[in-house]
Amino acid sequence: MRRGLATVMTVFRKELRDALRDRRTLVTVVVASVFMGPLVLLAISGLVASLETRAEQREVYVSGLAHAPTLRNFLERQTYTVKEAPVDFEARLRTSKFSDPVVVVPDDFEAALLRGESPVVEIVSDSANQRSESSSGRIERLLAGFGRERAVLSLALHGVSPRLLEPIEVDVRDLASTQTRATRVTGILPFFVMMAVLYGALNAALDTTAGERERGSLEPLLMNPAERWALVVGKWGAVACISMLIAVLSCFSFLPGQWVLRSDTLAAMFQYGPREAVLFVAVLLPLAAALSAVLMAVAIRCKSFKEAQASSSIVVLAASLLPLMSVFDLGGESPWHLWVPALAQNALMARVLKGEGLGPVEVLIPLGVCAALTAIGVWYVARQLHHAAVR
Amino acid sequence: MIEVRALAKSFAMPSPMRAPWPLASRKRAALGDGDDRGARCIHAVRDVSFTAPAGQITGLLGPNGAGKTTTLRMLAALITPDAGSMTVDGIDVVARPREVLATMGVLSDSRGLYPRLTARENIVYYGALQGMEPDAADARAQDLARMFEMTELLDRRSAGFSQGERMKTALVRALVHDPANIILDEPTNGLDVLATRALRESLRWLRTPAGGSKCIVFSTHIMQEVERLCDSVVVVAHGRTVASGTVPELLERTGETDFEEAFVKLAFVADPSSAMGSE
Repeated sequence: MRRGLATVMTVFRKELRDALRDRRTLVTVVVASVFMGPLVLLAISGLVASLETRAEQREVYVSGLAHAPTLRNFLERQTYTVKEAPVDFEARLRTSKFSDPVVVVPDDFEAALLRGESPVVEIVSDSANQRSESSSGRIERLLAGFGRERAVLSLALHGVSPRLLEPIEVDVRDLASTQTRATRVTGILPFFVMMAVLYGALNAALDTTAGERERGSLEPLLMNPAERWALVVGKWGAVACISMLIAVLSCFSFLPGQWVLRSDTLAAMFQYGPREAVLFVAVLLPLAAALSAVLMAVAIRCKSFKEAQASSSIVVLAASLLPLMSVFDLGGESPWHLWVPALAQNALMARVLKGEGLGPVEVLIPLGVCAALTAIGVWYVARQLHHAAVR
Repeated sequence: MIEVRALAKSFAMPSPMRAPWPLASRKRAALGDGDDRGARCIHAVRDVSFTAPAGQITGLLGPNGAGKTTTLRMLAALITPDAGSMTVDGIDVVARPREVLATMGVLSDSRGLYPRLTARENIVYYGALQGMEPDAADARAQDLARMFEMTELLDRRSAGFSQGERMKTALVRALVHDPANIILDEPTNGLDVLATRALRESLRWLRTPAGGSKCIVFSTHIMQEVERLCDSVVVVAHGRTVASGTVPELLERTGETDFEEAFVKLAFVADPSSAMGSE
């Protein structure tokens, strides 16, 4: 047993050194995983900032402005700047060159309004044009306000109480905390961190198994009087260690990533401090261990690195699609999610982002699942090792 | 001393026609010779026996596909034989493989190095796996490197090594723990004349009492090697030992003066199974 542990340490040190010397791969993975998260954060913050500035601008584009002085008067009283829409606004909306919805007023608007004939006012936007679509709701509410004002005035002229128009009063109370609301935007981040863990493990896992076979170094390795389990545990330890290193780098990369947030609202909502980073790492370490073992188990069956890459793409695909279950599952978070690797970690990280605590059950179930997966993976690789060396 | 008795090993042949149930095809393959109802198996080794005493170089000579590599792989406990027995210094290979491996240095058919490690790191890694202290392994690497004239290679990464340099590194790696038994599978493959000579010299020295009276088994298909180096020769063909003895003995038995002619006679003509091979 003591000899076995010495072998584990020997193999671990060698594999770690070997992997760390593979600078090109390592740099690619680090750049992709460490900069990807902050970049996505930057992109999201850019989008939110542009929505915010447009909401602040308070501009309305109207086509046929001259026919509707009453409407113009109303809009200006709501402190909106009313602008005449460009003539070719439809074409420009379609090609996304114009990003505001346009209110189209008919020629006889004013006269019809006086006669009480409900003239038709169009709000033209393109639902494929995201930015125009996002502000069309605001314009709709604005026009409804105009309608309500007209109605209240007419009723008042006829001596009827405006209360009749509002038999009930609607008050909206949002239960979401600032952090919960932010997860609508930042919910994608756990996915990127998980991909970083996966790609961190991928190369080393393939190199220590299929790569070793391809180089023809597995057969001489097995001609040493070392126990198989010790060889495999040493290899797995090195792979998991690299994956964990990438996980830690990736989680902490969001801390400086926050400084570049362009939207103040998002910066206020996205509360990711050292505490969240540490929790992220704690959630991800067992996953890194399990993914390393699973990738090695898949790759040991393959004769070449290339073949192993093809086979491991199934694992990569599963790990990237499983978190989407929480999107498709309309029931929200179900208890069984905790039993599925990747999905469980995704759920736990989402909770951390929402500012909710993690209970012992939420931590122990995924930990147990990952430990079991690791054990199965390592056992399988050890079992296949001799077979793989001679074939 | 290495003793091999009546060794046999067959493999199920991986063919596109193989039954989709691996277990069933494996069972049928195990039925062996008389069975050819669709199941095909390769009898890599049918009956190989030899004794390689300490302080001698024993050559395993045979044509391509004779079963030399499979025999040596079984000796290195990499595959389990179907039948027969193997002992190394009296220790049974199948029963106590790790004890045997500790007394054995094997240069196998595949001799891959780790390209991102230096030659020294490659060698010391194997020393550590053999249970050596890092300092001892390093000193031994230095000594062996001097012997094989590769000292200047030690601190270079093995990625850019030539075939001969790779071979030398792999050989030193196999000998790092100073094993009493040395098994070399076609060690001169890819070596130039000078390197082959140097290897021959080293092996000759290793069998002397000063070199440690090693028991050296080495497989090859090159006549000259055997003639120049081996104390005794085991001729293997179609998975069987067809003859063994010293070079003069084999020449005498076949009535030839040229060893190549003698070998062809022994391996191809005199082979009793070649006419009735069922694979």
